[in-house]
Amino acid sequence: MIENEKQNYLTHPKGIMSWLLTLDHKRIGLMYLVSGILFFFMGGLLALGMRLELAAPGNDFISNEQYNNIYTLHGAIMIFLFIIPAIPGALGNILLPLMVGAKDVAFPRLNLASFYIYSFGALFALYTIINGGVDTGWTFYTPYSTQSSSNVVPMTLGIFIIGFSSILTGLNFIATVHKMRIPGLTWYKLPLFVWALYGTSLVQITATPVLAITMVLLMLERFLGIGIFDPALGGDPVLYQHFFWFYSHPAVYIMILPAFGIISEIIPVHSRKKIWGYKFIAYSTLSIAFIGFLVWGHHMFTSGQSVFSQIVFSFITYFVGIPTGVKIFSWILTMYKGQVSFTPPMIYALSFLFLFTIGGLTGIFLGAVALDIHLHDTYFVVAHFHYVMQGGTIVAFLGGLHHWWPKSFGTMYNQTIANICAFGVFLGFNGTFFPQFLLGLRGMPRRYATYSDQFVELHSYSTFWSGILGFSIFFAIVNLFWSFVKKNKVDPGSNPWGGMSLEWTHTSSPPHPHNFETDPVFEHGPYDYDKVIVEKTYKK
Amino acid sequence: MSDHHITPLRTYLIIASCLFFLSGVTVWVSYIDLGSFNIVLAMLVATVKASLVAFFFMHLLWDDKKNLVLFLMSLMFFGIFVVITMIDTEFRGALGFNPETKNPITKRASFYGQLPLTDTHGYPVDSHDDIHHGDDDHH
Repeated sequence: MIENEKQNYLTHPKGIMSWLLTLDHKRIGLMYLVSGILFFFMGGLLALGMRLELAAPGNDFISNEQYNNIYTLHGAIMIFLFIIPAIPGALGNILLPLMVGAKDVAFPRLNLASFYIYSFGALFALYTIINGGVDTGWTFYTPYSTQSSSNVVPMTLGIFIIGFSSILTGLNFIATVHKMRIPGLTWYKLPLFVWALYGTSLVQITATPVLAITMVLLMLERFLGIGIFDPALGGDPVLYQHFFWFYSHPAVYIMILPAFGIISEIIPVHSRKKIWGYKFIAYSTLSIAFIGFLVWGHHMFTSGQSVFSQIVFSFITYFVGIPTGVKIFSWILTMYKGQVSFTPPMIYALSFLFLFTIGGLTGIFLGAVALDIHLHDTYFVVAHFHYVMQGGTIVAFLGGLHHWWPKSFGTMYNQTIANICAFGVFLGFNGTFFPQFLLGLRGMPRRYATYSDQFVELHSYSTFWSGILGFSIFFAIVNLFWSFVKKNKVDPGSNPWGGMSLEWTHTSSPPHPHNFETDPVFEHGPYDYDKVIVEKTYKK
Repeated sequence: MSDHHITPLRTYLIIASCLFFLSGVTVWVSYIDLGSFNIVLAMLVATVKASLVAFFFMHLLWDDKKNLVLFLMSLMFFGIFVVITMIDTEFRGALGFNPETKNPITKRASFYGQLPLTDTHGYPVDSHDDIHHGDDDHH
């Protein structure tokens, strides 16, 4: 094995300041990854606490007030501190410049600033946790959020600040995709992960300012008593939900689009076959990003909005199914007659297809007004969005981590353990959340710390499997980081899965501090498995 | 469009005086009672002023047209937000029945005694009659 200490961004340059003041997108990505995973564990522990309380009816573990705090913090941490920043911030930062053949993102200093803004916002969230939590639910609905004596202000302020990090990262990625591509790498030759990040970035810069406005209006109402949401002062409480969901529905696509991009990379590489319907997948990304702006009212079918807008929103909501279906079928057709190998990333990708399809189809149930009025605020909704967010985004994120781990960090994890954990995640996830669909259909309301005896059986199943899910994710991530401890280095020139995009073919593992030793020359598209033979190389 | 455009001072001064003039117009029209049309006119003048700033002071007129597209896109998203939200507030009770009028709110909370209450159209909700909610009389 050749030592490449000088050509490795992880070891060169050295010293703590070289990390804190780094402008290297790969190091910034790694810092996002570590902080994201810490918040992921924090949110996961809160979730397990909730499941433990729900293992049996009655308040045998925590009080109602503590339960309110725990579910709010679980939602807010997972969404605003992990899922939204983690995939674009971590995987996007590490991979985007490598995939377009650039030395760095378009604005490296802005990139570092985004990370510090994120950290600063995260401090407010940590303060909230230490100072006794917040109990409004992650949506901060008025009128309760303007009256609650819990830490609504620090939490919303944290989210306000983190929003700016999101906007600046989005801006940076858009400029990078437009301006930093190497000659020959035209739009239709870009890896689909780049398209996905581009769509995500567009949503980030157009939707996130509205979140900031919402949080500011909430605070103005709280402190100055300006009547925007309070009907007693001439406001409209439903207007808060319009504001909130005008951001938060597109935010669902900020969370899921990068996951689509990861799956579009994993499936062709591990099937060694050209992706089916490249342009369809690319354009479906943009159309999902756009349609995502027109459907926010389907979160509000029972909040008293006009019947006319319920019908409009319900109708438009169904359109989301079209580009999503295009993607699912394209991925399945990509695998058809390919050489599918059941590596850890591929097992995550296959789980994603299964879980996301269930999540998406139950979304159609919820998009129908009449059915939603029955199912709204029940466990059916909880199960639906966990199938999309966890079964979709987090499973894809884990798949992406396993796929690019040897590339990003130059070490290979134990693949057998990774496979077992991937199965554990799949089984544990279904075991936890499938019973929740049934609970919801039978009328179990969400956000309750206790329940009547008819729900005992399904709730205890759910709790049992959530333990399996928690252990599997924990060991999957420990297994990844263990490869650092074991120093199981891969060869610098290795390409363990036989990938064809620039990050696999033109740079070492882990990459050079300046990404490429010589200026990369574009030779073949990212999925040209029908034209070029790429060897799988792991260790010499 | 890569070469840098230098705007003559004259243009800036003309635009600045237009802005001052339009500020005067805003003040002037506020004294005329046009009913609900007042707000429309005020917004119209403000839009013209904002466009002048964006086109001349911010150089959008001479800049790469992609930037103009992005600027217009942001207006489009703002439009989507406002228009679709209005589909809610303006059509409450238009189809089916309005739950507020069929089942009036039981006013047991303390603030109901203290403040003048209005519904989303600015009509007082203190009187219990259902007639003032006929949705055709004010659009």
